[in-house]
Amino acid sequence: MSKLRTNVKPTLAIGAALGAFLFSGSMIGIGHAADLPEGFVKGELAPAPPAEMIEAGKRVYFTKCVWCHGVDGAGDGPGADRLWPRPRNFNQGTFKIRHTASGELPLFNYNEKVPDSNKNDLLDTVTHGLPGSAMPPWEGILTEEQRLQVLSFVTTQLVKDRKFTDKQSETQTILQVGTIKPLEATEESLKKGAELIVEKKCIECHGVEGRGDGNAFNLKDDWGFSIQPADWHKCWNFRGSRQDPYNVRNIFRTFSTGVNGTPMPSFADNTTVEERWHIANFVNSLCERDAEGKPLGIDPLTDKPKINFVVPSSPIEGEISDDPENEMWKKQGRRYVAMGGQITHKPRNFVNRIDDIWVKSLYNEKNVVYLIQWDDRTKSVAEGKLPWAPTQVNVENFGVKEQPPKTGEEGSIAAAQNNYAVYNDAIAFQFPIKWQEIPAPFKPRYLFGDAKFNADILKWEADGSLRSFKGTGWDQDFEERDDFEEKVKLMKAEWKNGRWTVMISRPLKGDKDDYDEYTRFDVGKYIPMVFFAWDGHNGDAGRKMAVSAFYYTILEPPTPQEVYIYPAIIAVGVVILEGWMLTRRANKKKGKSL
Amino acid sequence: MKALMSVGALIGVIGLLVLIGMILGVVPSNTVKLVEGYMPMQMLSELAIFVAGFTGISYLMSSMGMPLPRFWQGVLFWVFIWMYLKYRVYPPIPFSVRAMYGTVTFVAVFMWVSANEEDWKKFKQPIINVLDANTGFHKALRTLYLILLPILIGGFSFLSMKPSTEEPIELRTVHPAPPASTKVHGKTYTLQTSQNPYRVNPEGKYDQEYSNKLIVEQGMGRLMAPNANPWDEKAEGYLKYVREGGEIFFQNCHFCHGDNLNGRGLHAFAFNPIPANFTDPGTIAQLQETFIFWRVAKGGIGLPNEGFPWASVMPPWEQHLTTDEIWKVILFEYWHTGYYPRTWD
Repeated sequence: MSKLRTNVKPTLAIGAALGAFLFSGSMIGIGHAADLPEGFVKGELAPAPPAEMIEAGKRVYFTKCVWCHGVDGAGDGPGADRLWPRPRNFNQGTFKIRHTASGELPLFNYNEKVPDSNKNDLLDTVTHGLPGSAMPPWEGILTEEQRLQVLSFVTTQLVKDRKFTDKQSETQTILQVGTIKPLEATEESLKKGAELIVEKKCIECHGVEGRGDGNAFNLKDDWGFSIQPADWHKCWNFRGSRQDPYNVRNIFRTFSTGVNGTPMPSFADNTTVEERWHIANFVNSLCERDAEGKPLGIDPLTDKPKINFVVPSSPIEGEISDDPENEMWKKQGRRYVAMGGQITHKPRNFVNRIDDIWVKSLYNEKNVVYLIQWDDRTKSVAEGKLPWAPTQVNVENFGVKEQPPKTGEEGSIAAAQNNYAVYNDAIAFQFPIKWQEIPAPFKPRYLFGDAKFNADILKWEADGSLRSFKGTGWDQDFEERDDFEEKVKLMKAEWKNGRWTVMISRPLKGDKDDYDEYTRFDVGKYIPMVFFAWDGHNGDAGRKMAVSAFYYTILEPPTPQEVYIYPAIIAVGVVILEGWMLTRRANKKKGKSL
Repeated sequence: MKALMSVGALIGVIGLLVLIGMILGVVPSNTVKLVEGYMPMQMLSELAIFVAGFTGISYLMSSMGMPLPRFWQGVLFWVFIWMYLKYRVYPPIPFSVRAMYGTVTFVAVFMWVSANEEDWKKFKQPIINVLDANTGFHKALRTLYLILLPILIGGFSFLSMKPSTEEPIELRTVHPAPPASTKVHGKTYTLQTSQNPYRVNPEGKYDQEYSNKLIVEQGMGRLMAPNANPWDEKAEGYLKYVREGGEIFFQNCHFCHGDNLNGRGLHAFAFNPIPANFTDPGTIAQLQETFIFWRVAKGGIGLPNEGFPWASVMPPWEQHLTTDEIWKVILFEYWHTGYYPRTWD
């Protein structure tokens, strides 16, 4: 019921605030509030939690949290180094998502049991987790009591440099996000927001289109680790989204209070509340939506967009346009393809920078075309010739190695971020060759096929090449298929403001219909398909990449005549049946009355 | 009686409003959450509450002099069940399964309305009224049905015949039969007789009793038993190995299987099928430790055909971990979920 409560609470809070204002209006000078940024009020430090709660919280911490956050809460648990962003170091009392002014400690009160009341930041964070990072929501795992216990332990024992109850050094200036009414996202508001993100220099980090591609390489967090600005088009990855990604209040809060420990400042002092709503509305409007402009359905199990594992391809008469803005492409629905790190075989990619791609497909009588778009903050093209051949998958000998996890900062995976040799950004997809002979739902292995069922792989690299390979297993180098490359066509490859758009065309059938060599496409059949993506600035090469699960592609057949004929026949049949029933009933009644 | 029925009716109305609100998106769809691990029980109790609510509503309506005809009671109840299955159950169940439940409900409703002659007559009455069309209202209704029925049935058959691109359904065996023995790192393990070498007491002796005592408490919010902190410097034997297993788990496995071992790790959203949920009583709690050892060592590739080896992205962990490390991870998984491995006897 937690979400329902938020709807009720603000009303209560407004009432309470109004009451308090009327009651004490004469005592609190309005001038006092004037030194605070707009939308903030002074708060009071919460009491220290009792010792038994801290003791109980210690048990929770050493069962659930220690694995990432470490024994001393320094963010250096055994799991820490393979995570990006890294787990929080609690020692300095630096917390990202808060209702308090920049630099202040977050709200935490062991007595405030209601999540989403805007009164207990840390409880909210533990309850909903930090989407886009490894921090999961703990609701349903730990009881509310246990969450408060573990927070009592963390805030008193692991936050070492500051004290939540020290009135001398700590202040609380609280954003009233629950009671400030959002401005409606009118066209005018969005326009003002669009101007403000330029004026307030948001685009310097977040990029012209908000894909987090501005200044992406020079940003560091308080501990010296690389950090990248948020991609506004993926609101489900916003750390402070509280599992409610399209809620504009979350953006308003983050923008008003800043993100402690990162280069994201608070804009409370140099924007009015109204300006902040305009910006929040605009940022919110950028998040990916469906064709009708509605928010994407979010899967409650994963807090990411819901996935449909079929990539449909629609029939087109004549030529297929190479312009994604063309009507035929705009009409075609796109599919969200989730990408995970390739963590099956060495070198495993624990920190994959590409977590999703968008795919559309069309086909005509000769070719099937895939339009793939994905956000990548950096355009990466290898300088000079790569030391390995394009067919080589086993590039470990060339230094693309899996890094063992380190607990310290020296030589850690996080420290290596942005310091990798730059290889080509790349995208690839594979189909099983001879899928017609594979009894459904059998498939060859998702990773480059296997010895028995080879994979037909098309790979595009940012150096402009589009190559065709045969995959015979995850540990086998590719075989190049020269003759096929003449038949495939790169229709478009463009990187603009943090987004790649690549359009690839391939024939439906070969010259001799010889499907021993490459995948033949038949209309109306589900053909298994896997996507791969490489981020050149992440040191991705060979098997170090992002990978999808098995999807299906299907050439949608044009609607057959029967679909129109049979229902009409059925409808006529129903009319006849009705007539028969009524006549029978009428006769029966007549017979009775006689 | 009346008070009791009023309470039932109130609950029914609130429940129905919340459910419809959640379907229409007026009320946030996670207002009443499905509790992980308790879903079937929760569904059954929700349905029981709804049935009580409906009984209350119909009682109140008849005591207020506007009884709902039995016919509409039956129809509405069937519609409710259909809505509940379609919109409430998560993850969504395929249409074929819904159709099965729908049919069962249909039969149940039919049995309910035809339990005795009088009820059956009451149920039939509205249909007969429309067929006979003795009043102007029923005549109009009959004409409406005569026109609407062919259109609706024709429309539905059109929609169902139109080619659609739904994901094909694949039914896989989640726990295929294990082999008699498995060879890992050159050593053969007989699955019936092998034991986890780290289930030992502080003296280093294999001791199932000892390790079971130190396992975390059962239930939601699973936590370590008092004074059993594996991170304690003095922890020895079993507990020390639990910590080592946890370190390996969090460096290798939690990306998919999740911090809570519930299959919701950082990369889990990208996979289909999603990674196994060890907190579900249907997974490791049902299996022997040696079964887990075989599955971990051989990964998705090592599955027999009925287990869909080609769909699982589970790595053959023998490529990344030593046998000792695999046993320790298994030790940790049982400790953290609070389950005991099944034994052969």
